[in-house]
Amino acid sequence: MRLNPDHFWTYSEWLFQHNALRDGAILSVILALLGFVVGYIISVVKHGPSEGFLRVSQIIGQLFTVDLPKMSFRRIFAVAKLAVKESIRKKILVLIAIFIVAMMFAGWYLDPNADYPARLYLSFVLTATNYLVLLLGLFISCFSIPADIKSRTIYTITTKPVRPLEIFLGRVFGFAAIGTLILGIMGLLSYIFVVRGLDHDHGVESIDPSGRSGETSFDNRHRHTYTLNSEGRGTTNEVKGHRHIVTKVGDKVVVGGPIDDLTARIPIYAKGLSFTGRDGEINEGYNVGYMSEYQKYIEGDSLSRAVWRFEGVDKSLFKDVMLYDLTISAFRTYKGDIVTPVGGLIHFRSIDGKVKSEDEPFKVKEFQVDRRSVRTKLKGFIEDRPADLDFFKDIAPDGNFEVVIRCQDRGQYLGMAAADIYLRPADLQFWWNFVKGYISIWLQMFIVICFGVMFSTFLSGPVAVIATVAALVLGFFGFFVDDLVETTSKGGGPIESLIRLPTQMGSQIDLDLGNEALQTGILMVDRGILAAVSQLRNAVPNFSQLDTANFVAYGYNLFGGLLARHLTIAFGYFVLTALVSYFFLKTREMAA
Amino acid sequence: MSTSTDLEPRPASFDNDPTKTIVETRNLGKVYRDFWGRKKVQALKSLDLEVRRGEIFGLLGPNGSGKSTTIKLMLGLLFPTQGRVFVFGKEATDVSKNERIGYLPEESYLYKFLNAEETLDFYGRLFDMPADVRRQRIENLIKMVKLEHARRRQLKEYSKGMTRRIGLAQALINEPEFLVLDEPTTGLDPLGTRDMKDLILRLRDEGKTILMCSHQLADVQDVCDRVAILHQGELKELGRVDSLLKIQDLTEIHASGLTDDAKRQIREIIEKSGGKVDRMDNPTTTMEDLFLEIVKESEQRPGRRGGRGGN
Repeated sequence: MRLNPDHFWTYSEWLFQHNALRDGAILSVILALLGFVVGYIISVVKHGPSEGFLRVSQIIGQLFTVDLPKMSFRRIFAVAKLAVKESIRKKILVLIAIFIVAMMFAGWYLDPNADYPARLYLSFVLTATNYLVLLLGLFISCFSIPADIKSRTIYTITTKPVRPLEIFLGRVFGFAAIGTLILGIMGLLSYIFVVRGLDHDHGVESIDPSGRSGETSFDNRHRHTYTLNSEGRGTTNEVKGHRHIVTKVGDKVVVGGPIDDLTARIPIYAKGLSFTGRDGEINEGYNVGYMSEYQKYIEGDSLSRAVWRFEGVDKSLFKDVMLYDLTISAFRTYKGDIVTPVGGLIHFRSIDGKVKSEDEPFKVKEFQVDRRSVRTKLKGFIEDRPADLDFFKDIAPDGNFEVVIRCQDRGQYLGMAAADIYLRPADLQFWWNFVKGYISIWLQMFIVICFGVMFSTFLSGPVAVIATVAALVLGFFGFFVDDLVETTSKGGGPIESLIRLPTQMGSQIDLDLGNEALQTGILMVDRGILAAVSQLRNAVPNFSQLDTANFVAYGYNLFGGLLARHLTIAFGYFVLTALVSYFFLKTREMAA
Repeated sequence: MSTSTDLEPRPASFDNDPTKTIVETRNLGKVYRDFWGRKKVQALKSLDLEVRRGEIFGLLGPNGSGKSTTIKLMLGLLFPTQGRVFVFGKEATDVSKNERIGYLPEESYLYKFLNAEETLDFYGRLFDMPADVRRQRIENLIKMVKLEHARRRQLKEYSKGMTRRIGLAQALINEPEFLVLDEPTTGLDPLGTRDMKDLILRLRDEGKTILMCSHQLADVQDVCDRVAILHQGELKELGRVDSLLKIQDLTEIHASGLTDDAKRQIREIIEKSGGKVDRMDNPTTTMEDLFLEIVKESEQRPGRRGGRGGN
């Protein structure tokens, strides 16, 4: 899993510095204007220009003067309760049975030899839940209002003092409630499935003559080695992403259950990462081609180095030891001794560079998290003179310090990004991170329900499903659309491509139709279409961004700021779909 | 396209005498169009009528005459393509008017997975009624429509008559001032029909205004004060039932205990005064009255067959 810089933005940074509020406001204004113009055009066709304007204005006015102020929670609750009963009546709870069957099969097929079984189990349950719940949201939301219109039960609702917004809100809340129930049950089952699936014991197979170390038995397709301290307590080494606590009770060595496999690390990330090149000049890090666009590289055995700058680290979070994780990759320009990992050196230094710790060598653990630590009492240098240092007194008195990494091996490169080193003051309770992962899924489901209900206010059930699926696909695979829009030079837009394909005109040569005006026209229309597609893509929720399953699966705390952003996005779409639904319900002839 | 009259202010009667007129349609028309906006059918043409407070108003007409369209326009389920509808002095599309309206649709379009209590509770909530008021009304209405024995059964298990009764109960949940009944006696047996008609009359006596449309002309004749007859979307007749049905040049005398001689003398007197006796006979009762009497007798003396008529 790769953490991107935007993952670390705090809520206020996202809202104000990165212009989410501004963009949201602009989008709202554009949509409002667009809605008004479209509504006005339709109204003009039906009623003429002056009365058309009057009617559209009346509908907008009524929203704020009557329909919003006179909204009743009792009515919303009634419609919501009906939606819940309707869903249960449609045997929606069968979905839980399907989920249980899926988990039973998964128990057979999930590979116990995987390097990180916890990651595999968690990814499976979260992904399965996510897709099932989105499907659930899709189908319950899209068919409800059309079914009411078809069976004409809607007559008995709209002839009561029920406001259009109450119909929308009641449906959305009702379906969200049933979805929450199902999601909650699935979450509980998943948690039990994961914890039980990963739980295992080891016996002790061999003990060193000193009695301080030994080897566990081979269980669950792996074994560990362990070491004990003088008090007879210790841990095993890490295999398959977990360790065990080992204690000596009398003459017996007891191996406890697995630990560290289900974690929720709360990382403290650096505020910035800078690079110096092979001659010591500041650069942006080396690019080694398509290997990784995410990471930049430093060159081995040179002055090239990567420097992370940490700011305001609270020393009370760390006592004797400061834990940190490294996820660095290597790029080899020659094969060399392939078994031996590429080596690097790491040290900590003060911001002014006058105080620094000794270089500590390390070997790159590719595709793994290298869990490391540094003692707060350590050896180092003050202005190049050896000294015993106190980390938070000498190196980081105000909590600001730098971490410097170099690559030791000539001709090899180490790759890194801002998020590839972080401090680990403490871990969050795993179950709470798991719950947060499910909140993320819930938000996606909620958005799907909002879209489904919105589309169903003016489309028939099957067409509403198609429209919602289109929004989902665009939301999940929007990056394809981005590629399409951004790489217009390769074969042009849709119309240009339609000309190039049958005429077998290569994408490397310029379009030449022999008619300048026609050609310009086509290019302009193409640009217009692509701009419209791009805007459409921006208007639908980016589901791939809302998907945070990997945070839980890879054991990272799902940042509160990120979750708050997702909550805000979901709320934004909720308001948007509510308004669109209001106008369609308000202007729709239910008996037509 | 609307005409300029559509934008005229509401009629004075709404403002000056709000107690008099409950519904007023002015130049009301409805055209159904297809997806492309092409005219499919003109369901209603320039309808002008009023429903007055405290009366039972009947809408009559064959299938496709525009009865249901008129009702749907009054309820805001359809929007007029011409003219306007005012209910309680408000536009028909104004949701707040619904607080004073009860509507029994043609086929009791209710949620079949709910039982009677849940159905009434649901509709009660839609009127924003507090729980204790809802409970009381539900209790009274279930008793009134005689569904105590089936209050917990899902509506999908109901017979057509029971469905009609629970439909009527939901229409009355808000104690409406104005009741719209679309084919209220459809699917009811003669007993149920009689109960429904009695109920309609009772509601009128309680001060409610009722608009009903029905194919059952006898029912309309029995209960309606005024009727409008529609045909092909046009208003053909409008007036009080008694005056519309009155045959001006015929005289009807009901008398009992007359001997044959007395009958002969009456005939002579009529002929002397220039009149003509078309028919002098023992009248027959209606099948409805006969049926109701038999059922009543059967309930009083089970197992015995009545002795009316020949074989």
